[in-house]
Amino acid sequence: MAAGGAGAAGLLALPAAAAAATSSAAQPPISETDRLQRLIRLEGLLLYCYRHVLASGILAPRARRTLAPFPGHEEAHIAALERVLRARGGTVPPGPDSVATANRYLANRGVGGRLGQLKGHSDALYLLLTLEQVTIGAYFVALTKLRDSELIQLACQIMANEAQHDAMIGLTLPKATPGSAVPYGLVQGLQ
Amino acid sequence: MVTPDGRASRRALLTGAGTALAGGTLALAGCGSAEIGKQAVKKTSARVQAKDIAVLNQALALERRTVAAYIAGMPLLTFSQRKAARQFLNEELEHTGELISLIKAAGGKAPPRADSYALGHPIDGPGVLAVLHSLESLQISRYLEWIPQLSPGPVRAAVASILTVDAQHLSMVRVLEGQVPVPGPFVTGSV
Repeated sequence: MAAGGAGAAGLLALPAAAAAATSSAAQPPISETDRLQRLIRLEGLLLYCYRHVLASGILAPRARRTLAPFPGHEEAHIAALERVLRARGGTVPPGPDSVATANRYLANRGVGGRLGQLKGHSDALYLLLTLEQVTIGAYFVALTKLRDSELIQLACQIMANEAQHDAMIGLTLPKATPGSAVPYGLVQGLQ
Repeated sequence: MVTPDGRASRRALLTGAGTALAGGTLALAGCGSAEIGKQAVKKTSARVQAKDIAVLNQALALERRTVAAYIAGMPLLTFSQRKAARQFLNEELEHTGELISLIKAAGGKAPPRADSYALGHPIDGPGVLAVLHSLESLQISRYLEWIPQLSPGPVRAAVASILTVDAQHLSMVRVLEGQVPVPGPFVTGSV
């Protein structure tokens, strides 16, 4: 279903899980500490974008009310991941400290739309929606490699929460319904 | 970008027409998780496969129970609730298909469906929604327990892609019930 659409749009790349399998000979394996740092960086970017969009006043009141708790959720995800990372002796990466840095990170991750240049409500929602899907994709890829049971469970809990955010953002789009907000039977995010 | 059908709109986003989606760098996910999982589970030892089959069989039984609840409860829902429930039912059916594929790939055989399921005796829409709420929650809590027990990483990720959708269903059922859709930062299936 989804593969056809992606192929038609010329976007279909090798799924990350498959890519990881095929490229393992060429690249050294990524440690769990590295994976945690990657996830924290992404969560930090998501948090920054939520805060920026919510503070910008660009969202319609209903969407603003819906999204208002989400930065708190992202903070909790970061705190939980940081605890695990520190317990393993890892260094916590900083989040973006400016719009320019956040926009550079968005560009690096292939996410269109830039903070400070959003044209309106829908632009802001689609940026957040895409970034949520990129985040879900990062957890999906991480789950193919993580080995620690507690970390796997934590990654699942956060991935599922990001998927709920994704659905709720979808529900704030014009004429959306609870059914249309959950359009796929399997969610792996964008990779 | 925004069409009269929110679902189509989100599909368009995922296939590259979204304003926030930069072309060329993001791969669409949402397909192929079971395929990657199947390849992975085929490569594992017989002992691991047997353990995975046992877990996947339990997951399948739970998904089938939820399918039965959606089918049985739909007539008691309002038109708009029924529309959403139909979408979620299709996705639950997709989950059963994915699980059966994984079971077969591991060398197992999916057990037959039960003749009947104990679903309580809801007499109205709110009663049906309460049953669906509890079943989606139960699925989530069980998946969180089971996923770390699955051995090949891609199988874990494939099953997590089912969990994420169940978490989205739970949020939407909560919306239909008039409850807070995303009550916390970690999806545990406890509420």
